[in-house]
Amino acid sequence: MYDIRLENVTKKFGDFTAVDDITFTIPKSSVTVLLGPSGCGKTTLMRMVAGLETPTSGKVFFGEHEVTNVPTKRRNIGMVFQYPVIYRGTSVRKNLELPLLSEKLSKAELDKRIDEVAEILDLTSVLKRQVEELDNGTRQKIAVGREVARQPRIILFDEPITNIDLTSKLELKRSMKELFGRLQQTIVYVTHDQTEAMTLADQIALMQDGVITQSDSPKEIYEKPNSQFAGWFLGNPGMNFVPPEFIKVSGSKITSPLFTQTIDLGSKASSVDTFGVRAEGISVTSSQAKDGVQARVTRKSIGAGGQYLLDLAVGSLLIKARVSHSIGRDAKDSVWTNIASENITFFDKAGKAL
Amino acid sequence: MAETIFKPKRKSGPIKFATIGAWSIALLFFLPVAWIFSTAFKPKDSIVVSPPVFIFRPTLDNITEALSFDNTFDYFTHSIVYSFGSVIIAILVSYLAAYSFSRYKPAGTDFLMFLLLSTRFVPAAAFVVPYFQLFNLLKLKDTYIGLIAFYAMFSIPFSVWILKGFLDGISQRFDETGLVYGASRWHIMFKVILPQVKPGLVASFVFNILFVWNEFLFNFQLGGARTFGIPVGLFTGSTKGGAIDWAYVASIGTLYVLPLIIVIYAFQKYLLVGLTFGTVRGEV
Repeated sequence: MYDIRLENVTKKFGDFTAVDDITFTIPKSSVTVLLGPSGCGKTTLMRMVAGLETPTSGKVFFGEHEVTNVPTKRRNIGMVFQYPVIYRGTSVRKNLELPLLSEKLSKAELDKRIDEVAEILDLTSVLKRQVEELDNGTRQKIAVGREVARQPRIILFDEPITNIDLTSKLELKRSMKELFGRLQQTIVYVTHDQTEAMTLADQIALMQDGVITQSDSPKEIYEKPNSQFAGWFLGNPGMNFVPPEFIKVSGSKITSPLFTQTIDLGSKASSVDTFGVRAEGISVTSSQAKDGVQARVTRKSIGAGGQYLLDLAVGSLLIKARVSHSIGRDAKDSVWTNIASENITFFDKAGKAL
Repeated sequence: MAETIFKPKRKSGPIKFATIGAWSIALLFFLPVAWIFSTAFKPKDSIVVSPPVFIFRPTLDNITEALSFDNTFDYFTHSIVYSFGSVIIAILVSYLAAYSFSRYKPAGTDFLMFLLLSTRFVPAAAFVVPYFQLFNLLKLKDTYIGLIAFYAMFSIPFSVWILKGFLDGISQRFDETGLVYGASRWHIMFKVILPQVKPGLVASFVFNILFVWNEFLFNFQLGGARTFGIPVGLFTGSTKGGAIDWAYVASIGTLYVLPLIIVIYAFQKYLLVGLTFGTVRGEV
C-alpha cells in the first residue's frame, strides 16, 4: 500500500484559491477524514489526489511515485461520490462485476470478491435485484462495494452518505465502519459531518479556507483543538467560548467569574484573549457547592442517551453544559457550576490555542 | 349529522366532454391524411367527383400504376439514402459536440449554443441561390455527398440542443467513475453515457428525419436526376399529363408516409421521454 504525499499543493479557480499551499501526508493503510465546512477545499484536495483536477502548483506522490500529471485512469484508485453512481438496467451483481470484467480474473476469483463485499455490506440478499428497485442507501452501498471489490490501493470517498436518508445513513455509516476495519487500503474520506468523521477516522485533517488547520486522531483533535475553529467545528454543541471581559489576567495568573481556582499560565498569560470549554467539561450540581459558581438555567433539553443539555447564564454570559440524566432532571432554576483546569483551552487573539 | 369533509365527487360529464373534444380535433387534423389514404385506393373514376364518394370498392390499381413509372423506385431510394445518411451523420456529430459542450464547457458555451441555432433563423429562400452557386462551383450538385452534407449541417444545431439537455442531466460522476476504472474517454462516451441518452438520440433522429424526408426546396435546387427525392418526384410527377394526377399524388403520398409512421411508432416510448428534452435531472 502507499501513503499519499502532497507537497505545496495549490489549486486556484480563477481568482478563488480553493486549496492553498498544502503539504501533508496521508498515511498508508489507514482512514484519513478530510473534515471542514462547505467550500473549505476538501473535495478539491481529494479530486487532485484522484487526478480529476490538476494542481495549479505543487506535487502529489503515491508512495515514491510522483503522480501529479498521471491521468486518473492510470492511478489505480477507487472513488465513491456523493451521488450514487449505479448502472441502470442491470442487476446488483452486474453492477459490482462490471469494472472487474476488464481485469481478466478467473470466475472463482470474481465470485469470491463479489460475495465477500456483498456479505460485508449486507447486499447478499439483493444481488439478483435490479438496481432501479433499490433505495438510495442501497445504491450507495453498491457503489462502495464496487470500489472495494476492485481492490485498488487507494479508495477515496467524497461525502458518500450526505444524500442518503437518515435511517439508511446510520446503517451505511455502520457498514462503512466495519468495512474500513477490514480493509488494508489507504482511505481518504471527505465529509462536513463531524460525527461521521469522529466515527470513521483514524486521523482527521481539519480544513478551513483551503488549508489544513489541524490533523490528529479524533480524540486528540476533540480534546485539544489547536484553534478556536477546531473547537467550534467539532462537537455538538461546539465549544463554549468565553470573551475577554470575563477573563482577568494579572501577571501569569488568570481568574474568571466562571471558575473558582486561579490558573497559572506562565509567560503565555499575557497573550490570552479567550478561553474555551466543552459542554461536558462543565460540572454542574443542584445543591450549593463551596467552590461553585451560581448559574441560572434558561433552557433545558434532553439529548441522545438521556443526557441533558442545559443553557446556563452566569451573569450576562450564556454557556451550554451537557450533564448526566439525573443531574439534568433535578436541575431547577438555579445550579452551581465549576470548570476543572484541564478542561479549559486558552486562545490568543488570532484564535490559536496556547 | 356528520359534517361534509370532502367535496362531492365530480360528475364524469366534463371529462367525457374533453375526451370527445380532443378526439374530434385530432380527427379533424387527420382528415387530409385520411383523404390521401382513401384516394390511393379509390377507382380512378370516383376520385374527382362531386359529391365525393365515401363508399367504394378498394383497388390497388393506382399504387401499382404509380410504382410502374421508371423513376418512382429511384425517388424512394434517393430519399432513403440522403435522409437516413444525413441524419445518422448529424446525430453522431451532434453527440460529440453536445458531449463536449456539456462536459468541457468551453468559454462562452451559452453564446456558442446560440450561434449554432442561429443558422436556422434565416429563411431558406434567402440562401438557396448562394448554395446553388456554391454547389455548382464545388461540383457537389446532384451528388449524395453534397445533399447528405447539406442536410447533416441543417440537422446538427437542433440535435446538439436536444442532446446537450440530456447530457446535462447525466451526472458527471458517471464519467469520473469511468476514469477511475481506467476507461478511455471514448469508452465512457459510447459505452457509459450514450446508453443513458437513448431517448434524446431517438428524439433528435425523429425530428430531423421528419424535416429532411419532407424537405423540398433544397433537394429541388441542389439535387438532380440522380438524387431527386420523393417530394420533388411527387411535384414533377403530379403535373406530367397537363392536369393534376390525383391518383398518382395519393398513391405516392401514401407510400411516402409509411416509413415515417413505422419509425415513429417503433420509437414512441422513447419519443415521449425525448420530448421533455432531458429536463429530469439525475443529480441533486
